[in-house]
Amino acid sequence: MISVKTNSLFTLSIVFTLIVFVTVSIYSCNSLSLFSSKISYSEQVKPIINKNCIACHGGVKKQGGFSLLFREEALVKGKSGKAGIVPGNADASVMYQRITSTDAEERMPHHKSPLSKSEINIIKNWINQGAEFELHWSYKPVEKPNIPKVEDTWIVNDIDKYILNKIQLAKLQPSPQTDPITLARRLALDLVGFNISNSEKKLFIKSPSDENYQKYIESLLNSPHFGEKWTSMWLDLARYADTKGYERDGNRKVWKYRDYLIKSFNEDKPYNLFIKEQLAGDLFKNPTEDHYVATAFHRNTMNNDEGGTSNEEFRSAAMVDRVNTTWETLMGSTFACVQCHSHPYDPFKHADYYKFMSFFNNTRDEDVVDDYPVYRHYAKEDNEKLNFTKNWLTQNVSEEEKERIIKFIYTTQPSYNSVSFDKTINADFSDTNKWFAFRSPSSTRLHNVDLTEKTTLITRISNRSPGGVLSLFQDSLKGKLIATIKLKATEKPAPWEIVEIKLQNVSSGIHDIYFKYSNHKTTDNTLTTLVIDWLYFSKDLPGINKPGFSTFKGNLISLLSTKPETTTPIFIENPNDFKRKNFVYERGNFLQKSQEVKEGIPAIFKSNTEFKNRLDLANWMTSNNNPLVARTLVNRLWEQLFGTGLVETLEDFGSQGSKPLNQELLDYLAYSFMTTNKWSIKNTLKQILTSATYRQSSIFTEEALAKDKFNVYLARGPRVRLSAEQIRDQALYIAGKLNTKMYGPPVMPFQPEGIWSSPYNGEKWLASTDGDQYRRSVYTFWKRTSPYPSMISFDGVGREVCVSRRIRTNTPLQAFVTLNDTVYVDLANKLAKRSLTLAKDKHFFAIKIAYKLATDKSISQQKFKVLQKLFVDARKRYTIKKDLTIGFENSPDLASLTLVCNSILNLDEVITKN
Amino acid sequence: MEKIIKEAYLKSLAQDTRRTFLKESFLGLGGLALSSLMLESCSQVKKNDIAIDPSKPLLTRPPQFAPKAKSVIYLHMAGAPSQLELFDYKPILQKYDGQDCPQELLEGKKFAFIRGVPKMLGSPAQFKQHGQSGAWVSNYLPHLSTITDEISFVKSVTTEQFNHAPAQLLMHTGSARLGRPSMGSWVTYGLGTENANLPVYVVLTSGGNNPDAGKSIWGSGFLPSVYQGVQCRSKGDPVLFIKDPTGIDRDLRKASVEAINAINHEDLKTYKDPEILSRISQYEMAFKMQVTVPEVMDISNEPEYIQNMYGTKPGKESFANNVLLARKLVEAGVRFIQVFDWGWDTHGTSADGSIDVGLENKCRETDKATTALILDLKQRGLLEDTLVVWGGEFGRTPMAENRSGLTQNWKGRDHHAEAFTMWMAGGGVKQGYTHGATDDMGYSVIDGKVDPFDIQATILNQLGFNHEEFTYEFQGRPFRLTDVAGKIIQPILA
Repeated sequence: MISVKTNSLFTLSIVFTLIVFVTVSIYSCNSLSLFSSKISYSEQVKPIINKNCIACHGGVKKQGGFSLLFREEALVKGKSGKAGIVPGNADASVMYQRITSTDAEERMPHHKSPLSKSEINIIKNWINQGAEFELHWSYKPVEKPNIPKVEDTWIVNDIDKYILNKIQLAKLQPSPQTDPITLARRLALDLVGFNISNSEKKLFIKSPSDENYQKYIESLLNSPHFGEKWTSMWLDLARYADTKGYERDGNRKVWKYRDYLIKSFNEDKPYNLFIKEQLAGDLFKNPTEDHYVATAFHRNTMNNDEGGTSNEEFRSAAMVDRVNTTWETLMGSTFACVQCHSHPYDPFKHADYYKFMSFFNNTRDEDVVDDYPVYRHYAKEDNEKLNFTKNWLTQNVSEEEKERIIKFIYTTQPSYNSVSFDKTINADFSDTNKWFAFRSPSSTRLHNVDLTEKTTLITRISNRSPGGVLSLFQDSLKGKLIATIKLKATEKPAPWEIVEIKLQNVSSGIHDIYFKYSNHKTTDNTLTTLVIDWLYFSKDLPGINKPGFSTFKGNLISLLSTKPETTTPIFIENPNDFKRKNFVYERGNFLQKSQEVKEGIPAIFKSNTEFKNRLDLANWMTSNNNPLVARTLVNRLWEQLFGTGLVETLEDFGSQGSKPLNQELLDYLAYSFMTTNKWSIKNTLKQILTSATYRQSSIFTEEALAKDKFNVYLARGPRVRLSAEQIRDQALYIAGKLNTKMYGPPVMPFQPEGIWSSPYNGEKWLASTDGDQYRRSVYTFWKRTSPYPSMISFDGVGREVCVSRRIRTNTPLQAFVTLNDTVYVDLANKLAKRSLTLAKDKHFFAIKIAYKLATDKSISQQKFKVLQKLFVDARKRYTIKKDLTIGFENSPDLASLTLVCNSILNLDEVITKN
Repeated sequence: MEKIIKEAYLKSLAQDTRRTFLKESFLGLGGLALSSLMLESCSQVKKNDIAIDPSKPLLTRPPQFAPKAKSVIYLHMAGAPSQLELFDYKPILQKYDGQDCPQELLEGKKFAFIRGVPKMLGSPAQFKQHGQSGAWVSNYLPHLSTITDEISFVKSVTTEQFNHAPAQLLMHTGSARLGRPSMGSWVTYGLGTENANLPVYVVLTSGGNNPDAGKSIWGSGFLPSVYQGVQCRSKGDPVLFIKDPTGIDRDLRKASVEAINAINHEDLKTYKDPEILSRISQYEMAFKMQVTVPEVMDISNEPEYIQNMYGTKPGKESFANNVLLARKLVEAGVRFIQVFDWGWDTHGTSADGSIDVGLENKCRETDKATTALILDLKQRGLLEDTLVVWGGEFGRTPMAENRSGLTQNWKGRDHHAEAFTMWMAGGGVKQGYTHGATDDMGYSVIDGKVDPFDIQATILNQLGFNHEEFTYEFQGRPFRLTDVAGKIIQPILA
């Protein structure tokens, strides 16, 4: 087997092997206490089982009818008729008999090396002690941990005590605080994403007191750019993109969600509320625009528009993605394997997956081309109509009816998508799975519509040929006629319009509705003449007898017909008559439904809640009892600051994930996050940033190089390459070009020709001008099948599914970007000009200034000599080869200085957080 | 113990091109870099797993067992060429041409575009047997007909997807959904590089559009992004950003890279961070690649007889150019090359998209070059080490398409997941062999059924990997290219 372990993980595993080894030796040396010492299931037994047994005796395979995943499975009688484990009696347990058997055919692990003596002893003692299974650490509630009793002048806050404790165990020394310039840059990169200059920074560098440090941190936390930096992290988790993915990868408008994130981080929205809004904002009482927009979190799933694809198949793929993402991004657990079978390593059962999926399975979205349901963000011009409508409703109708109509105006829900039509004759979905297209004559059916109290149908249609009659029948084509509408003549190209159809004589209850269409003016029965989008069945519009009703209705139709400023795909929960049933999918196949299930969480998490919908789920996730949510988040924050999480596998806190060296610290941070810090991200960051641990110098000592190359013990400060976004944003800022405009539709900075070429998709990359090309990377248009190239070179992820952790690599292709990409050459040129101006055209001085702009530091004599020589050599060459200076205003000086600045932007110290 | 390992490792270094390169590096930093790399890697040799160091992710790594092939050229005809017009000869289909499709073929089936009862469609192509092996190939492929004795045809490929993007994803990543690493990424991850001055995994596209599934079919999925395919372009920079920008020539670039590295060396003294050393070597390598890559990418320096053999037109975007380039890349040590050609989706909704006009044109554009590739590899002794794979993402129906239930003006076939033909040559597969068969109508496979996982398992096997043991930990479980499936197609192996 080949596997990638990143370095610190590797080191970590050695450390743990050592610890286990030491523990085992203690047990074996002291044979008297052997039976009395309690064996730890999680620390000692589970690793042996995971490594040697679970592949054949776990969630997927239960060889011989024996599984070690759950205690109740391990205790039952297997195929042999005997119990694998008899608690309290190792000798009677088949498991013990088989691992100690001398018969090669009998002995377990089958045809592999036997367990070591110490491993066998652990199993034996564990069974004799009662074979208790224990919950893995991360599934246990977070408890208030004891703060280690460590004293040292180095310590600033409690975090340092946890860290120093481990540093001392490893016989290392913590590092002193780094110099103020380096520390100030580190802070700025971590909090706002580029090395922003402000008066607080200057003050701190001049006089690096604790007080000035605090003030500087505050200034960064209060910067509007804080939200942009942290949103970049969240966009990977939310698999945010400006396109829908798959073949056509058409554009999707969802940038209001990105703006929602920026605002939420900036206002330090408590994290529990933040994720509650994203999971279930639509289920809040009288949800606001922000509440709806937040639910786009899970509408970032991909949508397949390719002709001939099954909407249900890709809807089901989106459901799977929502479950996996909820677990991975919010609860640091790998749930994906449970989709097909019980978890092979962790205590999740196959049905748990589908219980959990039930929380999401009743959303209204159906993989339709327009991404319905969407929130309609009306343009300012529509405010008057909106205000009138809201006021009129307040004055004239019940609260309930008002809410219904307002929801309808902003979401057109709850509606049937026309993809629900079936039993069609001479009609079809345009391009096989989009809007519904009638020819003349034709018919179709809408199955199982609850007609109780329904007297009106409001629908969005496009009539492509003058005239035509649409008739609706109840229960069959020859059934009761419930509506007839003569379609009006229409102009070309036919616009989408909103039509109200009165229903007559409808029976209560669930019925099929048949739609029959014909148009006597059309003789060609192969021509599409009427297209239907969505259908909204309801009571009559309220307040029909009230004054101003006709104006209200006119406004309503007009609002629904208008093109809003933008839209955002959102969650809308299915009302009762749209509810889907939930089933377990055999082997994860949506066509093979088995046992029916209801909303619920895995049994290992004890909860008294009766789970009914997503809001219950969100409440459970953000309760202090949830063991994973707070731990996962503080670990992410730590990773953003230190480059590696306390649990290195941000995505897996389960028994296969990497074990935290410092679980006590993780728990301490998680506990304070939920209690004293009141779910505040900014407070938690402050707590970490003020620690001595964070402020350490990142210089490697000889001792550290030998003992802890990957900084597992954190005896020095973090030193990591910047992220793709940081590298670009920083270059923009250094060059003095960063456009700090916030929010709005995505922008398209320079990108070489021919990068975009999706089939059946005419959309083009249109390079932004007028300063938009210099906006922060978080606003760069993200196309799933073709992300912005330099982002990908620097380890950005495709955003097809959530990826919790970008793995930092170091490749020549990265050097190409910062050396040769037009974006960076342009910025080098701008930096050269900026420095020249500041240096009053003194070139050597300009070199010093450019270096200082890039690093905040005064250049050392050695480094200056190198750059000076580069400048002089370049000027010689540019003077001879004048044609090379064309792009640099024909000036060998400017050209040479641009080359120097291009080099500065490539320096290790510039693209690294020191 | 540590000493022995160190010694063994030192020996293996001698053959490592990348380190040889470092030794010769123009700043003379190689020696220093070398010693540090050595020390670093020693700690990793102790493990059985191949541990990937993120700062040197492309070090050469041996496969699991002795490979039959060193490189793969995968020719993908995006859109799905019709097997019934090219390889799978069905005289009976001719007989039933124009008649209603028998109900039993339609029951319980779903098609992308066919609705109701379609008509059977006989092939407009003329078939003959060719070579000693007697392989059936139609008159659409006059060149390939002459080399059937080099090829193993697999006439019994099936898939579970009948839409382009998911089917292409399945073929190249083992999953119909986005997010899995592509075959080339797996190979790059498993083997590292043979030639550090070139990308390890190269993707070439012709015909204007990317394949339907987009860049994800050469994406690295959950593997580190360094393992994704590098798309080389025939217009603009061959590799993105590889050209020195306007106004910076080689000499100036050399001077600037030297300056960058000299300053980085100053910082190395201060921070002692080995990552700085890696960055220094990456910049040196980038500087070299800027020369080597465009050199290899330039096909204009190939002799005229070679140009004629392939039918290339240097400077144009064409399949022929890409295929010749693929050969040059294989020669230069590139492991995995995917060539995508666009425009094989013959529904019969237009002349270009029909089996009577468009398909024959597509064959004319590609047949000569494909054949030349095999012959050229052979004459250079490269064919035995190079596995060439040809195919689409699914097949096409024996019935004529009747989109939305209507009759169409051109002859066309709908997407068909149940049977299609692929072929392989070189790299340890049999010469002049045909595997598997379909029924009389060419509807279903009746013998030797093969699916995309089997294709993948076979390709990995030729490269020296057991697909069942070639894994990567993700989301809590070891993932593999073939997921939980895949059998090597033993009968076609020599």
